[in-house]
Amino acid sequence: MTIRRRSVFSYSAAVAVSSLLTRRAFSQLQPATEPLAIVMNSGEASVSVIDMRSHKVIRTLPTFREPSHWALSPDRAKLCIADASGNALFMVDPVTGESLGHATIADPYQLGYTPDQRFLMVNALRLDFVDIYRADDLRLVKRLSVGSMPSHLDFSPDGKWSFNSMQDSRTLVSIDIAMMAPRWEAKVGRTPAGVLWHNGKVLVCVMGEDHVAQVDPLSGAIEQRIYTGVGPHNIFRSPDGKTIYVSNRVGGSLAVLDAATLSLRRTYPLHAAGPDDMGIAPDGKIWISLRFREQVAVLDPITGSYETINVGRSPHGIFLNTEMSRSGLLTAEAL
Amino acid sequence: MVILPILHRLGWMQWEELSFDWLLVCVYGVFAVILTYAICWPLEALMPVEPFQGRKALLTDAIYTVLARVGVLPITSFLVFYDVQVWVNRFAVQRGYIPPTLETLVPSLLGHPLLTFALYALILDCSDYWRHRLSHSFRCWYALHALHHAQREMSFWSDDRNHLLDDLIAGLWFGVVALLIGIPPLQFPVLLLLMRFVESLSHANIRLSFGRIGDWLVVSPSFHRTHHGLPAAGRTSCNYGAVFPIWDIVFGTADFRVTFPPTGDRRAPEAIATGRYLEQQWGGLMHFSAEWRRARMSKSQRSRPAP
Repeated sequence: MTIRRRSVFSYSAAVAVSSLLTRRAFSQLQPATEPLAIVMNSGEASVSVIDMRSHKVIRTLPTFREPSHWALSPDRAKLCIADASGNALFMVDPVTGESLGHATIADPYQLGYTPDQRFLMVNALRLDFVDIYRADDLRLVKRLSVGSMPSHLDFSPDGKWSFNSMQDSRTLVSIDIAMMAPRWEAKVGRTPAGVLWHNGKVLVCVMGEDHVAQVDPLSGAIEQRIYTGVGPHNIFRSPDGKTIYVSNRVGGSLAVLDAATLSLRRTYPLHAAGPDDMGIAPDGKIWISLRFREQVAVLDPITGSYETINVGRSPHGIFLNTEMSRSGLLTAEAL
Repeated sequence: MVILPILHRLGWMQWEELSFDWLLVCVYGVFAVILTYAICWPLEALMPVEPFQGRKALLTDAIYTVLARVGVLPITSFLVFYDVQVWVNRFAVQRGYIPPTLETLVPSLLGHPLLTFALYALILDCSDYWRHRLSHSFRCWYALHALHHAQREMSFWSDDRNHLLDDLIAGLWFGVVALLIGIPPLQFPVLLLLMRFVESLSHANIRLSFGRIGDWLVVSPSFHRTHHGLPAAGRTSCNYGAVFPIWDIVFGTADFRVTFPPTGDRRAPEAIATGRYLEQQWGGLMHFSAEWRRARMSKSQRSRPAP
């Protein structure tokens, strides 16, 4: 897909105006909350807590092995951080960034609470399981083997279905939550990763084939492929619902799609740093973990320039507690 | 940033993170060899126990080191250890058991990675003490291990001079212990490389003891040379410890005399003492086979009823 010069200019102008209008001081938005970015360092078993005002790491929390992704508990009192090979779920206070202990569960990699808040679904990437736990006491309810290397997941807003990407099987699998059984399996391409429910469709990043596939949630049929850059890995929607961001892992860039048309509007270069997870701050800046730079980038969408903050090895999931003011459940994908 | 486009082109992006870890361990391996060379070579030149007679034996030992630390070690760690660890975890989890780690067994270790790392090193070193001691206790096993002891010109390259079957047993032994204590896959090769650095130093041709207290803390060239000395070759030896002498002290096999004896094994075939790499490997296999037959004969003679 080519980018037309005119549309780039008009889009940049729209972003600039929108960003200036929404740009307010953190304190105005969250008077009682210290704005914190919580970053999971997969490569060194730690979590960096960053003061979003000063861009300083104010605390480093230890984990067992390999913290990857996160889910906010339905009551928003606990940030659950998945430590895959540590077989643990670390709990962090999302307001203070302090540790609240840990629970033992098998190989949690990516996770999310179902929209009815009854279950916690966990993709166990190493062990090839999709596990469904009771949300209140983390008792295992169902274990499914539906593909190799379950990676990312999202839910339909009515909570009936989940959509789980299987990196090694090259499939997207839909699971019926009530039946706790797979509904369909779609071959989407090499190394599918990030998943997002969007406008009644499922979008999945196909990292090995440079596109985002739009999948029909009823049949699993692929309806279109949107080329975003080399190695699209993860996908997010802006708080106003107008923009979709895709991190291109291999190309080292951030692609911007129009949420209504899914057309590529702009690409921000991040200089081959392995962008992964992201969050959007109240001032409109995009916080992105850079896996291979041991840094988090804070990107200004108006200028395309970014600052970096040093964190631990292989920063993976990133949570901004300023996003807690938004309605709905928060997981790594479903903003 | 070179490896990512290659993986993408080959369609192997799902192995992205493991590939980075694998590459990192290879880099650690190269770095460890360079560091060992940079420290041990000047010391060997400054304070040798004996002059080197030729470079052929050293060159063969150097091939062993590069193969073991840059090639075999990462492959063993990730292609084998990672796969086995995943298989064991999956097997246990399917039966409702989540394998613990050292930190889950001792929660106070959480947040103390260096202490945890040191504990892993102590446990692995203890297990290696017993593997080494047992390799001297069984006739057939010692036939393989004799390749390591046959070297008459010890140097810092000599540590990795082992028969492939002996290496395989050691790798399996380490791997099982590492699995039991839940050591992280990335820490496993790093621990091995650190331990191997001490082992390289202890094999070096250096007239060096760490002093009365130092020799009790870390295995020195003097302590380990006693183990390689001609009087200690064979099935009754001493100073089996690889990194920490504590296990020799606890289990009664320590000999702290500083004597720097001549090294080697008089019973070892000449091929495994002075042959090239493949000659040593083949010679070691033949020596093992001969000892195996001898052991079977002596067993059948013992079991034959007296006339």
